[in-house]
Amino acid sequence: MAKHHVRRSGLTMPVNNPRFLNAVWTRGCDFVNLDLEDSVPESQKPHARTLVKLAIPTAAKGGAEVFVRINHDYVEADLEAVIWPGLSRVNYPKAETAEEIRQLDVIITRLERERGIRPGTVEIGANIETARGVANGYEIASASPRIKDFGGGTGYDMSRDLGVEMFVNFDQFVYGKGELELQTRALGLPVHRAAPFIANTTGSVSDADRAFLAAQASRKCGFREGGGLHPNVIEPQNRGFTPTEDEVIDAKWVFERYRGLQRSGQLFEEVDGRVIDIYEVRRAEELIEWAELCAERNADKAEAVARTKVAEPR
Amino acid sequence: MRGAVRRSWLMVPADDAAQVEQATVTAADVIVLDLMEFVPEGAKSVARERLPETISTLAQRDAEVFVQVDKELLYADLSAAVWPGLSGILIPRPDAPQEITEADRLLTQLENTRGFRPGTLQIIAVLDTAKGNYQSMDIIRASRRAWGVTLGRADLVMDLRPEPSGEIHLMPYLMQRLIVLANAAGVMPLGAWWRAPARGLLASPDDTYKAAMRGRRIGFKGALCLRPDQVEPLNRGFNPSSTEREAARALIAAYESGTDHETAVIRLQDRIADLATVTQFRQLLADANACEQHDSAKAQARQRAAR
Amino acid sequence: MVPMTVQRFVNDAWRHGADAITLDLEDGVPQRQKNAARTGTKEAIPQVSCGGAEVFVRVNKPYLYADIDAAVWPDLTGIMLPKVESATEVSEASSLLDGLERQRGIEIGSLQLIVLLESALGVWNIRDIITASPRVTQVGLGESDLCQNLGITATEEDDPLVYARGRVVIEGIAADIQPIGMVFPVSLTPRLQPQNELLQLATMARNLGFKGAICPHPSWIGPVNAAFSPTPEQVTYYTRVREVFAEGVARGTAAVPLDGKMIDVPVDEWAKAVLHLAVLCKTRDEAKQRALQQAGSAPA
Repeated sequence: MAKHHVRRSGLTMPVNNPRFLNAVWTRGCDFVNLDLEDSVPESQKPHARTLVKLAIPTAAKGGAEVFVRINHDYVEADLEAVIWPGLSRVNYPKAETAEEIRQLDVIITRLERERGIRPGTVEIGANIETARGVANGYEIASASPRIKDFGGGTGYDMSRDLGVEMFVNFDQFVYGKGELELQTRALGLPVHRAAPFIANTTGSVSDADRAFLAAQASRKCGFREGGGLHPNVIEPQNRGFTPTEDEVIDAKWVFERYRGLQRSGQLFEEVDGRVIDIYEVRRAEELIEWAELCAERNADKAEAVARTKVAEPR
Repeated sequence: MRGAVRRSWLMVPADDAAQVEQATVTAADVIVLDLMEFVPEGAKSVARERLPETISTLAQRDAEVFVQVDKELLYADLSAAVWPGLSGILIPRPDAPQEITEADRLLTQLENTRGFRPGTLQIIAVLDTAKGNYQSMDIIRASRRAWGVTLGRADLVMDLRPEPSGEIHLMPYLMQRLIVLANAAGVMPLGAWWRAPARGLLASPDDTYKAAMRGRRIGFKGALCLRPDQVEPLNRGFNPSSTEREAARALIAAYESGTDHETAVIRLQDRIADLATVTQFRQLLADANACEQHDSAKAQARQRAAR
Repeated sequence: MVPMTVQRFVNDAWRHGADAITLDLEDGVPQRQKNAARTGTKEAIPQVSCGGAEVFVRVNKPYLYADIDAAVWPDLTGIMLPKVESATEVSEASSLLDGLERQRGIEIGSLQLIVLLESALGVWNIRDIITASPRVTQVGLGESDLCQNLGITATEEDDPLVYARGRVVIEGIAADIQPIGMVFPVSLTPRLQPQNELLQLATMARNLGFKGAICPHPSWIGPVNAAFSPTPEQVTYYTRVREVFAEGVARGTAAVPLDGKMIDVPVDEWAKAVLHLAVLCKTRDEAKQRALQQAGSAPA
């Protein structure tokens, strides 16, 4: 369904923090990524697993999609705890081999069947956080049709695997990002996680201005997915990843122009130094469609929030 | 340069007699007669019909002639293109090695019936899709006719857009990767380091020169363009500049006089130079020489044609 | 990297505190000197090792057997293979080493291989090459020769080897092999530069993922050693990170803010790795110090 593809903003949050969890429906994010992995201490993981089943509808009260990030090393225990109706995607960290993905697929398939979830509902998001993952990227990404999200090649774990400090003033991950993006595109998967490099020398995760600039730059490059660790970045990402009215008007103009060209049998024209051809029209069409999807998503979320407010007056 | 000097590849819609005529008065090293990217459906048969004559006319002048074919209409396009005077073909969007193998076979058949020495026609693979780039090595190795490889209009076909830095997203990566694998496979990497606002091989003469120069410095041997005013900048950009040549001569001279009997590594001011450094500079001078010779050969051919 | 034919360099090399010294029989030695260089190798090995450095010999690809034969003696750590293009070349070198280790009473399998990739084919085939033998412990680019192979003369403005360098780092680390190298432009045009500049450049190289660098001149050694080791400031900071995180875990959380950054499991793991590397570097430095002191008091 259309709304599942609008994922401009999202919060990754530990599932065992009731305060965060109960408030997340007010944050306005497109998705919530409930975490069993790096933000949950080892000793808390067994307890955290028991919380997921109820956490899913709680997180969805504001209209967000719900994902869960599981642990690389506790696949069976984690999947048992998380594959419930309402879950859109399992995020799998530090993927290194195709075999790991196949294993996930087998277990998810069984659990969908046992729990009355339509087969194929649960996606897998494979995150590459090691050099070995980059080297095996193509095999990993093609290991299961559930993989709808693939990428990585940067971040804390990648830096640790490479043995580098982060937040230095140059792009350290060009090769890894390039390889992963090429593999993603070659397999016909959507490129969500490729963003133009904008130096983050402070390491701050809560900088709203930077988040907006990064989102806007990403969108202008053709990318659409955001996400983060801090609520401050949600609204900037929603805004940055949504086309402006002016852009939509311009896109419609391009579309009309091209229709004119087609009627006269021309393949392209130049107007004020700008080329109008089939490629520009495709971009314009995508922009118009994306703007519509964003509007739908906003409306769906608003409705969910309104319903929740009625059901839970404060 | 290894092999032919082919710095500028001017693309021209094969149905447009005026543009073809215009192309002949540029100094393009190669004219690419296009049958698909810039030729509307309705004009394709005209374009094909005109080819034998166009190729023969162009071949008498100073540029080489290639034809850009549509892989979906391979038989029709190749049949229309293979006439004496043709050097080879460009195939955009190959996704799999089999497509190149098929083209190779068809070319062999046509060479046999149209008076070509077998194996002379060359193939340039235009890798403008992600799948094509991923399978690039297998695609190139699918035929011994493969002479060159390029990204073509990958920025448009793959929808790669300018980043805030001015670089086109993913292109610098794809370019450097292409240059490595092309050399590993023994074919020429073609292309230039286009930056925004250059779009799909279209850029101002000045931007074209810069793109060519930067492209040469990372390993490209020539580039495609779409407008006649881009030809001269490409020729100039793919020729080492006089500054570079002087610097090269100076370094070579210093190295030759500075090498003592003890070691092949010497210090030139604060720079540590070895034999490989010097060989690079000798190569640069050889490339410059090859360009000059090619230019004078073209000038002579133009004079002959004018008489 | 020390050209074998320059006696004063060979004599002096042990003093500079390098982790490894490579006796060069290849590109640093003029063609007509290669025989002489080869014959001097056996003597030179113990000479350069007395400061605590590991000792490698860079051989010539066309004279592989003769050069390796001249190099395999006690105190040798390994061989640096230039211009490697295929796994077969690595297997061949490894077999030669097998035979010579056996003949000369050196522990079988102990001699290492450092692989230099200096052509497009080498870069493309890196995975097969570095996994061809367990002797391979390090991999790097020969950037000057690589540019020659690509038919380019690089300038210092545009870096032609971003892809190649990145590939060495990723494929090296994926195969548990140490990638070595420097950043552009000094990786391509090495210079004698002020120490603080070299330190900055070597630090960038470390942040690209390299674990060490070949030094074409002794003046590089100090800054390179410093750059590839954790700094005292880093040690202090990461010790604090570990403390703060441990306190957080005791309170039941695995996400603790510290100075505007979020300290979670990966950050703590990183702190652990940095502190571990700091210990390894300190141990190595102390071993070299002791060796230098011993050698300093011994007759030359």
